[in-house]
Amino acid sequence: MASISKDRWLAIATLMPSIILIGIFVYGFIGNTFYVSMTDWNEEQALSFDPEINYTGLENYRYLFSDSLSPEVQEMLAQMQETMGDDFPDDISMFTDPLGTRFRQDMVNAVFYSVLLLAGAVGLGMFLAILLDRRPRGIGILRTVFLYPMALSFIVTGTIWNWLLAPQGLNQLPTAVGLDPIQFDWLSSRDQILTFNWQRLLPVLLYILAAVLIVWGLMRLRRKGAKALYHLLLPGVVIGASTWLFGGFLPDVLMMEEPHGFNLATLGIIMAAVWQYSGYTMALYLAGFHGISLDIAEAAKLDGAGPFGYYRHVAIPMLKPITISAVIILSHISLKMFDLIYAMTGWDTATTGHPALNMFTTSFRANNFAKGAAIAVVLFLLAAMFIIPYLVSSYRKKKGVA
Amino acid sequence: MAQVELKNVGKRFGDNQVVEGVNLSIADNEFIVLVGPSGCGKSTILRMIAGLEKISDGEISISSRVVNHVPPKDRDVAMVFQNYALYPHMSVAQNMGFSLKMRRRSKEETEAKVKQAAEILGLTEYLQRKPAALSGGQRQRVAMGRAIVRKPEVFLFDEPLSNLDAQLRTQMRIELKKLHMKLETTTIYVTHDQIEAMTLADRIVVLKDGRVQQVGTPIEVFENPVNRFVAGFIGNPPTNVFPATYSTDGGPKVDIGGLTLPVVNGKSASLNDGDKVLVGIRPDAVKTGNKIQAMDPAWRTTVDVVLAEIVGGQSLLELTAHGHSFIAEVEGHLTPKPGEKLEVGFELNRMFLFDPDTEESLTA
Ligand SMILES: Nc1ncnc2c1ncn2[C@@H]1O[C@H](COP(=O)(O)OP(=O)(O)O)[C@@H](O)[C@H]1O
Ligand SMILES: [Mg+2]
Repeated sequence: MASISKDRWLAIATLMPSIILIGIFVYGFIGNTFYVSMTDWNEEQALSFDPEINYTGLENYRYLFSDSLSPEVQEMLAQMQETMGDDFPDDISMFTDPLGTRFRQDMVNAVFYSVLLLAGAVGLGMFLAILLDRRPRGIGILRTVFLYPMALSFIVTGTIWNWLLAPQGLNQLPTAVGLDPIQFDWLSSRDQILTFNWQRLLPVLLYILAAVLIVWGLMRLRRKGAKALYHLLLPGVVIGASTWLFGGFLPDVLMMEEPHGFNLATLGIIMAAVWQYSGYTMALYLAGFHGISLDIAEAAKLDGAGPFGYYRHVAIPMLKPITISAVIILSHISLKMFDLIYAMTGWDTATTGHPALNMFTTSFRANNFAKGAAIAVVLFLLAAMFIIPYLVSSYRKKKGVA
Repeated sequence: MAQVELKNVGKRFGDNQVVEGVNLSIADNEFIVLVGPSGCGKSTILRMIAGLEKISDGEISISSRVVNHVPPKDRDVAMVFQNYALYPHMSVAQNMGFSLKMRRRSKEETEAKVKQAAEILGLTEYLQRKPAALSGGQRQRVAMGRAIVRKPEVFLFDEPLSNLDAQLRTQMRIELKKLHMKLETTTIYVTHDQIEAMTLADRIVVLKDGRVQQVGTPIEVFENPVNRFVAGFIGNPPTNVFPATYSTDGGPKVDIGGLTLPVVNGKSASLNDGDKVLVGIRPDAVKTGNKIQAMDPAWRTTVDVVLAEIVGGQSLLELTAHGHSFIAEVEGHLTPKPGEKLEVGFELNRMFLFDPDTEESLTA
């Protein structure tokens, strides 16, 4: 009989309470959220003392991802029809579920929040690290100054930037040198750029592909000559031209007719987030740069690399592991922008919305528990997409060391 | 075609004068070795030539062009570092081709030159590997390959072999010499290892405390050291040095307390009776066996053997005579036993005399 050693018993006994608690309060509740998201626990039922909850399968997800109307919306429209009579259109199918429309724009926002926070914080952090790596005077103080914002909570950052971005804030800076103040409404602009109809996703993707190929081809043209021309430049032009000429024949993607784009009002929030986290990436890169032996920098100098060549071809590629961890850490920070957005534009500003805020509003302001749970599940899966590769890679690394 | 000229070159780090008054004229295609104890400023001189260190005083020119304010990449010099300084994220081929890439050479040209260098160095099958997957000797070669691909005017080596084990070091030393004969490029090589200096150099520059002590061919610095320091630093085991008194009683001679040896070479004319001197005798100038039969009896004496170490073909003996202890290097088959008495003869034509105060040579 395999006997379990005393140490082992002790270990199990010590861990058991936390395993049980985490099992219930983390994984149990995640499971419960999954379940709730597949019920009709919305509105009236949500407020009832003894709710009648029915299993409805993927209904809630359908409202999020298609133009079908939830029963609550249908009922509301029917009431409006009654009170308004002839003024109200007969065919209510021309309406979309406001929750779904909003959710889809929130998802688009979330993509922009994540991508721009990543690009901004990694890019600016890298740039600051390069400046400090040239060892200016007062490097110690500067490092602390740049790193400090990370010690703040998102709420504090949000409040500070709220003040800064108010019309009488940073916008007035140009007046100090006699120019007109900036007119842009950082947090309340209703403008949207890069707007496109989701039906036409295929041609858009093809245009992007063509642009990438052409730019890439031009960059390589000088060194690779004909190879770049035939493998990159030409295909890029062909794809772009044929999409332009025959794009009309491409099928629509199966979604509702609905334009989405980049809301300019999110810019202010993204700036605040970049401000908060670029000091952190700067610290990561600076530590990395300082870890590169002086000999390597000197060898690069003798090999003919100027400062730009050194960072472009030697230092930054050498720090690939740092870039990877920065991207992973920032990408799940970017999914948790709830507090920052909440502090800067409140919980119900459509233009700066994020699925996490939408989930909060839907569940706890509109009392649509089931729909809120469905949004939560979508967010959960998104987070898993970022976290799981990270866990796998760090697990592998640990095994490699052992 | 590159001569390198150092005129009165000095280097200060703050108040610390690390290199002072170095004058050196290096001919095209010459293999010059800077040798000296650790901390004497060898690397600093090399780095000033490379452009990695500012020149505090004097002037350095390469091919008659003063380079004091020319950045490293425009000096057309290549350097091999002690710990190789390979780029860890690049393959061997990328490491070797990097300088050509930075100089915007075409891909074809870079590939061809890397291939050629790899063939010379026997690296062809490793071109796609990362440095981490190479042995120390292979990394060393990659570092050399990186220097030779772009055919610079001057090669600079900073203790390139000191991270290798003894056997590999000897092998790489020979390869380096052959490489130099093949490539015919001016080479400046820094080492603290006097054997490397002796075997590789066309001319050796012996340094101490940032000052040049002596410049000469290996034989010159070995046989005619200009001062006691050079006599002690070049040659292994180091020269035996005895305090002595000079006298001219019946021909010039030195009295090493109990043992009197005639002086047969040098500028002893500048010495007067009763002057104190230091006498230097190289271990290999102490002879035994039938070699001493032909020697003047005045060059010979009887000694006690304290210790005998056989190191292959040669043996190192610790001997005492008249209370003086010294080292001799003799042929292995002549090795005596400790405790034995032994008849030895000194090759006095190779004896050094030094001034006891300045330690400058009186014979060179
Ligand atoms: N960057 C520096 N700052 C201050 N002192 C230095 C610096 N580099 C070298 N030194 C000093 O200069 C002297 C010579 O150094 P170095 O040229 O490296 O000697 P070597 O290569 O002969 O061992 C040493 O005393 C060293 O401490
Ligand atoms: Mg050194």
